[in-house]
Amino acid sequence: MSTPNNNQMGRRDFMKVIIAGISGVIGAAIGLPAIAYVVGPALQKGTDEWIRLGSVNKVEVNIPTLFKTVIQKQTGWINAEEEFSAYVLTENGQDFTVMSNICTHLGCRVRWIAEKEGFFCPCHNGVFSKDGSVVSGPPPRSLDRFESKVEDGVLFVKRG
Amino acid sequence: MFLNLVNWLDDRFGWRAVWEAIFLRKIPHVNWLYTLGSATLFLAILQGITGILLTLYYVPTPDHAYDSVVYISTQLPAGWFIRGLHHWGASAMVVVTVAHLLRVFFYGAYKYPREATWITGVFLLLIVIGFGFTGYLLPWDQKAFWATTVGTRIAGVAPVVGDWLLRIARGGDELSAVTLARFFGTHIWVLPASLATLILVHLYLVIRIGITAVPLRKEE
Repeated sequence: MSTPNNNQMGRRDFMKVIIAGISGVIGAAIGLPAIAYVVGPALQKGTDEWIRLGSVNKVEVNIPTLFKTVIQKQTGWINAEEEFSAYVLTENGQDFTVMSNICTHLGCRVRWIAEKEGFFCPCHNGVFSKDGSVVSGPPPRSLDRFESKVEDGVLFVKRG
Repeated sequence: MFLNLVNWLDDRFGWRAVWEAIFLRKIPHVNWLYTLGSATLFLAILQGITGILLTLYYVPTPDHAYDSVVYISTQLPAGWFIRGLHHWGASAMVVVTVAHLLRVFFYGAYKYPREATWITGVFLLLIVIGFGFTGYLLPWDQKAFWATTVGTRIAGVAPVVGDWLLRIARGGDELSAVTLARFFGTHIWVLPASLATLILVHLYLVIRIGITAVPLRKEE
């Protein structure tokens, strides 16, 4: 809209630039906080406190044993009780391996079936061996392991 | 290349004509008071955006409504900001809408041929007040609870239909989970749909008829 043979900016173009600039500032002032607001909860990491599983006496040598415990968890505005479970394996009664019972394929729960000597996932037939490594099926990697410690005969795990 | 694409799209959408009708229409020489309607529209859009964002976290049940509001304000990044915009925007909306109405009234801009624009505007004001009334309950704190207790009781003193109105508003005898849910539903579905529809009609009339000039003071 500027007049020909003239590089000066006309009033109309000047107003366009000003309006676009102000609109951009307003848009950013709302848009950027809005992005932070929407993705905020996704960036929060879970707490890495020690979870008390129970007495190690319960674990038989060379047999994966399921431990279940209830933990308090703050999710959003709700303080909910959540069941936490994991398999514990020991070969010598002193060193303990704590494995997740969540299938590494798509997150279903696996179950130890003693007669078949394996962890079986009901969703897509994933099979894991006693130490959690993949035997067959679609799981991409062995069962996840938790950091663990034993204090006064009580087993604790840290959820990563 | 880019211009070709724009032209190709415009051949099909014809949005340049729409753009020109809306933004390049002829208007008389007016003053800043004539921006109050645009300011109201801006606030309405802002309330819509921040309101949508709030519904991502807010839950309209008595056991968690207040906790979810506290969560928004204290735990979320910029949650205080989004909620603050919605909170203050709500008050500003009422103030600016009334100011817009006063400008139209004192300039006599409601007269022929703009009576329909005026009438839709009055209904828009009622909707804005409805937003304020229903939104006030949603934090479900003491202030919200008692304000709505009083507000619905006021509806209750209307002759003949009062008790019926009160029970409809509350969804029963007392303020309850039912009240909170219906206020929420009204606030985020019924009123926004009505507001958007009426704004479209209102703006169509403003653009179709054009705006009034500032009235002249005639020297007698």
